[in-house]
Amino acid sequence: MAGSKSSSSTPKHAPSTKPALSSQSSVALQSLWSAYHDATPSRLKFIDSFLVFLILSGVIQFVYCVLVTSFPFNAFLAGFASTVGQFVLTASLRSQVNSVNRALFKDVSPERAFADFVVGSVVLHFFVFNFLG
Amino acid sequence: MGPQILLSVLFCLIAAVHAGQLSLQSPKLTVVGPDGGKLRSEPISLQKRADPVVLGANDILKLTFQVTDQTSDGGVQPHQTFLRFFDSTTGEEGIQPVKVTPSGKAKFELNMAKPPSSLPPSGTAPLRVSLLLGSFVHGPAALDLFDLHVPPSASAPVHPDESFYHPRPEIAHTFRPEPKLPPRFVSAFFAALVLAPWVVLFGLWGAVKPSVPHLFSPSILSFVLSLALIEGLLLWYWVELRLGHILLYGSGAAALALLTGKQALVGIAARRTGSSK
Repeated sequence: MAGSKSSSSTPKHAPSTKPALSSQSSVALQSLWSAYHDATPSRLKFIDSFLVFLILSGVIQFVYCVLVTSFPFNAFLAGFASTVGQFVLTASLRSQVNSVNRALFKDVSPERAFADFVVGSVVLHFFVFNFLG
Repeated sequence: MGPQILLSVLFCLIAAVHAGQLSLQSPKLTVVGPDGGKLRSEPISLQKRADPVVLGANDILKLTFQVTDQTSDGGVQPHQTFLRFFDSTTGEEGIQPVKVTPSGKAKFELNMAKPPSSLPPSGTAPLRVSLLLGSFVHGPAALDLFDLHVPPSASAPVHPDESFYHPRPEIAHTFRPEPKLPPRFVSAFFAALVLAPWVVLFGLWGAVKPSVPHLFSPSILSFVLSLALIEGLLLWYWVELRLGHILLYGSGAAALALLTGKQALVGIAARRTGSSK
């Protein structure tokens, strides 16, 4: 499926390499995306969407701090640290519950991983709210 | 020991009062020039102040007197005899001890070519010369003699730490200006921007649509509710609660969440292992 896609998108005689490269990279991205979309179970995609949300949240907060003001600096630090910390916790949860990694995490059941995630998140939230002010 | 000292001091005081006052007999002042010629020679009267004595740079001032007691005829030797040179304008004073023989006779010489170091630094104001007499058996005496003009001295040496004993200049602090909030429109825009990822999140979750078959089973629901309780407590802490309260309530809610969580997760695990079997 990916091969037919690439043959239909690349022209037979390439006038220059540049459009071919960009179309090749776009083809690569597309195949990556469709592989991800097909192969990932919906629960992992659920977690992934949360990760995307966290990244977006952190980036926007950082952009605000750089562009406009860092005035309540503790608020910026608390907000940014909450996104970063939550991202780390969620990423570790994802890798621990992923059935592909079962061999790596033999003595950590998915339930245990989720319990660790919950405890870590609650502690993170407590410190974030403490610092938020 | 204490009372004995007190008694002896009292005895001395009484003796001093009875022994009487010290005074001078035939005090005489002489000013001799550098060539040896007498420039001024006169007796000092304790009742009428003498004219001020002027000393040149090479003159010599000579004082002779005999210390007497009111009661005894002969002279007495006081335990302390000092000449005090006092400059009232600068407040400086110099003390020069005078040797008195046991018969009470004393001779003092002040050579301006080699002035004693005790002479205070002086300007144009005259030095008041007085005689201080102290004795264990007599009352103390301070006899004002005459005014003395000496050539002006070099100014008193300035102590190297002198600069530290004057008021320092006022410290003017400059403070950083208070940080200001950006204009409301900018804040509102960026607030909306920061909340936009939530929209993205719900959109993605809607697209993913993960299967949560047993979300509302009692164990899982109670666990989720106890987690929501913890988060609610944290929000309350952010607005109002104090640290002691949140730790107290939070530990209670955490215990609840532990219980319900254990039940829920064990149930999920059983279901997972059961179904995989």
